[in-house]
Amino acid sequence: MIQNTRDETLGRAADLATRWSFMMPSIILLLVTLAYPIFYTIDISFSTFDITTFGAGEWVGWANYEEVLNDYRFWDALKVTLVYLVIALPLQVTLGFAIAFLINAEWTGRGMVRALFIIPMVVAPVVAGGIWRMILDPLWGLMNYALQSISIGPLDWFGDPNLAMAAVIIIDTWRWTPFIVLIATAALLALPKDVFEAAKIDGANWWATLWSIALPLLIPIITATFVIRWLGAVKMFDIVLAATYGGPGKATNVLNLFIYEEAFRSLRFAESSAMAVIVLVLTMVLTGIFLYGSRKLEKRF
Amino acid sequence: MTALATSTPRRPSGQFGHRIRVVSGVVITLLFLFPVFWMVLTSFKQQVDIFTSPPKFFFTPTIATYVEYFRRADIERRLINTVIVAAGSGLLSIVVGTMAGYALARIRLRGGATFGVLILLSRGVPPIALAVPMFLVARQLGLTDKHITLILAYSTFLIPYVMWLMRSFFLSLPLELEESAMIDGCSRYGAFFKIILPISLPGLISTLIFSMILAWEELLFALVLTNRVASTIPVAIAGIAGDTINGANWGALTAVGTITVVPVVIFALLVQKWLIRGLADGATKG
Repeated sequence: MIQNTRDETLGRAADLATRWSFMMPSIILLLVTLAYPIFYTIDISFSTFDITTFGAGEWVGWANYEEVLNDYRFWDALKVTLVYLVIALPLQVTLGFAIAFLINAEWTGRGMVRALFIIPMVVAPVVAGGIWRMILDPLWGLMNYALQSISIGPLDWFGDPNLAMAAVIIIDTWRWTPFIVLIATAALLALPKDVFEAAKIDGANWWATLWSIALPLLIPIITATFVIRWLGAVKMFDIVLAATYGGPGKATNVLNLFIYEEAFRSLRFAESSAMAVIVLVLTMVLTGIFLYGSRKLEKRF
Repeated sequence: MTALATSTPRRPSGQFGHRIRVVSGVVITLLFLFPVFWMVLTSFKQQVDIFTSPPKFFFTPTIATYVEYFRRADIERRLINTVIVAAGSGLLSIVVGTMAGYALARIRLRGGATFGVLILLSRGVPPIALAVPMFLVARQLGLTDKHITLILAYSTFLIPYVMWLMRSFFLSLPLELEESAMIDGCSRYGAFFKIILPISLPGLISTLIFSMILAWEELLFALVLTNRVASTIPVAIAGIAGDTINGANWGALTAVGTITVVPVVIFALLVQKWLIRGLADGATKG
């Protein structure tokens, strides 16, 4: 009897071990490579940085945070990042769904067009920044040549602060819209056809069809796309680095580039850690709000 | 033209609108592809053909830039490094991430769901928040400029990515698959390795290739964690693009860019088919 229960406990322990063995490798790896660095960043952000040992020095409380929050350059970089996000995200989502609608027209080449749309999506962001820097070059670039033929320009894409921001958004939109197009194409194909036919029979015009039938059906996928794109956009770094390096002046200096410069060029590790923590918290809070908001939106429709 | 006419017999009134949709769809697609086309074209130009106004579409092609830059920018070693790191981090993440994705989809674990949520949340962690401590720790442990450091750094975003994709893939498989296997005397491992993995092969391969593409393109960690020995291609491109002292070196930029992009595009186009087939067939065939 006792032998029996012991076997049972052993068996259950073995079963538990088997179950957890699927999860353990990634938990251990991510604890070492993800959780530990985050705690280390937090640790440095509350300390002085000791250049001799290249590690955290004395505990200084909120001093680094105070310094960062009093640094106008931090606020400038935050503003640049927000302008980029506020313009680029809605633009890309709208454009993505609009293009998906266009290329979903039934014809023989539809499959190929969709396949080709995967190409900009896999161009390395740093390469995208580089080639667009060439295309947008004020002197020899193809864009100004094309614009001149319709009597616009020449535009100083990388000399004017607003145009430089526009350039960054154009490049980012070129790189990321195809991703949204591919998701949107699948979503549009999955829409139930009979609802639309019923609407047509009832005499609904296309605007009513779009607004009160297609949009509510698409809301879950639109919000999901927005959240995924948001998670990518807050990591904006490569394109800016290759295309403008934050310039002219600091006009396109997004937070990630600013933190990178502060840490690895100016070796101000404590301050940049404080900034990284601020960005981390902001991102997490906003992601939480977006997820909550998208769930609310789904319920309303 | 015949295809256009025959494809929409049920709404002749919408013919015109339909044609506009098709044409504008094709034009937009070509516009999106143009920068890549222009890069490849420029990479085969001589310097004199690059800086012209109007821009040249026809010229005598040359591979001079490729030959020159393979030596000068240390492209060969960087290519090997990038392949090692992309393959290493891709394989590590696919093994570890697939197991975790399976656990999240099918195995009941106390607290497992919490770990799942935490790991998925980590997709929102900005890499810059990891770059500083990784640099410092790598420096202390003497791990700077080593392949393994980059591989581990990339696993921070690849494992959650794989987990997320494979979890939804496993959820789409019918439960009876493992249940019948385990009733037939298979262990959990047996069911996983003998039944589930073979069926998931298309999904696994496409996820692996997408992970390798993400690693192949990564810039920030590569900039921070490598110097000379383990440096990758994106770092070289950032260097060429940012080199304003020597002026715009578009030949080098486009040649190295083409080398980076072409293999990825080929793989992505292959995977695109697998991805669709993998999701469509799922468990029905095996």
